[in-house]
Amino acid sequence: MKHKGMSLLTAFVVFLFAATLIGGCATGTTKHATSVVDYLFPDTKDPVVTPGIPVLTLPLRVGIAFVPSEGAKGGRGSQFRGAFPPFQGGVLALTEKRKTDLMQEVVSHFKKYSFVKEVEIIPSAYLKPGGSFANLDQIRTMYGVDVIALLSYDQVQFTDQGKLSLTYWTIVGAYVIPGEKNDTHTMLDAVVYDISSRKMLFRAPGMSLIKGSATLVNLSEELRADSDKGFSDAAKEMIVNLDEQLALFKEKVKERPAEYKVVRTPEYTGGGTGGGSLDLISLMFLIGLGGYFLWIQKRA
Amino acid sequence: MDTETRLTAVRFPVWTLIISACVVFIYGMPVLGTFLIYDRAAIAQGEFWRLVTGNFVHLSNTHLTFNLAAFLIAGTIIETRGYRFFPLLCLSAALLIGIIIFEVEPAMCFYAGLSGIVTAAVTYLCLHGLTEKGMWRWLCAVMLAGVTAKIGIELMFGKSFLLTVSTEGFVPAPLSHLIGSVTAILLFALMRLSSNTGHTKTII
Repeated sequence: MKHKGMSLLTAFVVFLFAATLIGGCATGTTKHATSVVDYLFPDTKDPVVTPGIPVLTLPLRVGIAFVPSEGAKGGRGSQFRGAFPPFQGGVLALTEKRKTDLMQEVVSHFKKYSFVKEVEIIPSAYLKPGGSFANLDQIRTMYGVDVIALLSYDQVQFTDQGKLSLTYWTIVGAYVIPGEKNDTHTMLDAVVYDISSRKMLFRAPGMSLIKGSATLVNLSEELRADSDKGFSDAAKEMIVNLDEQLALFKEKVKERPAEYKVVRTPEYTGGGTGGGSLDLISLMFLIGLGGYFLWIQKRA
Repeated sequence: MDTETRLTAVRFPVWTLIISACVVFIYGMPVLGTFLIYDRAAIAQGEFWRLVTGNFVHLSNTHLTFNLAAFLIAGTIIETRGYRFFPLLCLSAALLIGIIIFEVEPAMCFYAGLSGIVTAAVTYLCLHGLTEKGMWRWLCAVMLAGVTAKIGIELMFGKSFLLTVSTEGFVPAPLSHLIGSVTAILLFALMRLSSNTGHTKTII
């Protein structure tokens, strides 16, 4: 009888431990961030870089790159605070492929502008953490770009448990009941720099908030999906904002010619380039006239 | 000489072919195009040849194809029919287009394209056609009315009202068409005036 009582007590303790583990394992916060400031101005002992007057040679050759994470050199790239890290989305918020896909979205949008000759996607491997302008000069030499859009991001994922998480006590509930509530806050930020003058031309952010839920078992998968969607949505908003900022920047260039010099080359076929061109109907009519002329030539 | 008799005396469109060959050659040599294009800044520094040569530079395949096709048709008819002063028309139209755009359009940093000269050639052809008889005369009258309407609407709206080479990155320059047309009218009027004076002198 005493033995049976001990067994029940042990089972209850084990059950409590398991319930605590299940209940506590999914709460936490994950943060992934990169910073343009950390990349461009890593050493505060250095004097502040004084920007010169940018000379924008149209059409522009533009580079686009994600600034590297400080975590790559042992700093603060990703942080996790929570009970059970393996359930979280992992250390990497953005893989190289995902970065390339996001940059490709931006590139395909900006290729339509006649003042952009080409946009080069620069892999993260070419940017050193804290590389600063010396690194950008190397990129300029390697890719021949005049202007670079540096992308950084900040993504925070919160995971909390809802009342439905009580069903985890049944074990089956952990598989089928979405008791986890996830919030994914994402910010993508693009800063456009003229490399040679070290002057920031303009910047545009894009933000998103994804609210989701998951079962305990598929939590990590759901977090990855939310993270991915967060970056996609933020990229879309950033592209819209980039368009707006670009329009404002164009006005600024017109209003302040002393601060921004624009050089147009014959390659640039937009804005100040006029083309004497004929329309199709005029040409068709002229072809008709030529046809009639040939016909009376033959008849004669 | 009536229309039919003139048509039997077939001439070779030498100037049309020479100019067309030059245009294609320039297009095939982008470096040459860079030295010949109407570049406002370079002209201001003394590279005055660009005022004329800019008309013979083209910015894309479509731009070249449309302009060259129209020029070949108009130029061939003009030369084959024996209308005089075609090279002079091309040169004066090119020069006037360059000078007037330089004076009137300070925002236009670059200009390229043969269409001003083509418009001059078409206007010149139609004006000559009006002096002839038959169907040809009516066709030329309709064409001239079309050209006038097109230029008017282009100037009013700043773009062509018809189907354009719209995918190009450059802005249309309707002023060049107007200048080309006016050049043709002036040359034609001068010709008529000088021939009338000559005729009067002969009578006297």
